Amino acid sequence: MLILHDLEPYHWAVAGAAIGAMVLALLYITNKRFGVSTGFESACSLVLRATPYFQRDSLRESNPWRLAFLAGLVLGGVLSASLGGGWEPTWDMGMHDTHLGMSEGGKVLWMFSGGALIGFGTRLAGGCTSGHGIFGISNLEKASFVSVAAFMIAGVVVTNVFWRLFVGL
Amino acid sequence: MSLLFFIASGTLFGWVLSRSGASDYDFIQQMFLFDDIQLYGIIGTAVAVTAPGIWLLRRHGKSLFGHALVLTPKPAHRGNLIGGVMFGVGWAMTGMCPGPVLVNIGEGKMYAVAALVGVLVGTGAFGALYSRLAARLRLPALEVGTGDG
Repeated sequence: MLILHDLEPYHWAVAGAAIGAMVLALLYITNKRFGVSTGFESACSLVLRATPYFQRDSLRESNPWRLAFLAGLVLGGVLSASLGGGWEPTWDMGMHDTHLGMSEGGKVLWMFSGGALIGFGTRLAGGCTSGHGIFGISNLEKASFVSVAAFMIAGVVVTNVFWRLFVGL
Repeated sequence: MSLLFFIASGTLFGWVLSRSGASDYDFIQQMFLFDDIQLYGIIGTAVAVTAPGIWLLRRHGKSLFGHALVLTPKPAHRGNLIGGVMFGVGWAMTGMCPGPVLVNIGEGKMYAVAALVGVLVGTGAFGALYSRLAARLRLPALEVGTGDG
């Protein structure tokens, strides 16, 4: 069951096939390489105008489609919640709440810290689950095999140490 | 017009992430704890569909509108490993990878707003430090970047 209104999730094969079809449509119709995290560089490029890294041509040329795609992701979440039981603000973190009962302020610090690691890490690695994990692996790219192994192993180690040793799940 | 296509693609992707568990804190913990195959099944199926699709499109060579398809691999460098480890820790902590940060905000999960602020601060810091990091880690030239995607 999902945290979102206790909805029953789609079968993984259906979800995976839909994502694969979307990635291929993006490539075939628009000649764009699927990837999310560079979109955060696009967002930074609108504000950090004096930082050379964010003003490189290859990034700025891709800003319109990347920012449109990011806006779509938010819209997808809004529609999913609205049509799946109604949109309402929530702080529900599932098993994190059950076992740790962190305050809202604590969650903000927790999420900000994790988010900073996501932002810095994905840009240093040159991609995330989408650009490396789905597109890069499918295109048999060395950089993607290294990156995916690194983030999956790190995630498994941290999560198991945290829940099984620290929390005592 | 084409911007509408990108918004629609993002919306479809966001909907699927929302309804499949890919943007759900618990499902991400269960993936890393090996308690549930849902996320491995999603990513594995997506690759099983995308890989042969790319192979066929590469043979075809052209996009729908006749342009030469761009399928250049991302550059390999030391940042893949170091950045990958950092991202793995962040993904485990938040239960979100970059797409789901935005999907969770859309769903109304307030803590995801803090995650997005963190992501933007982390991204901004990376860009500001790029020339220093590039020298130490032998990253690609600034014009190339670490790999767009």
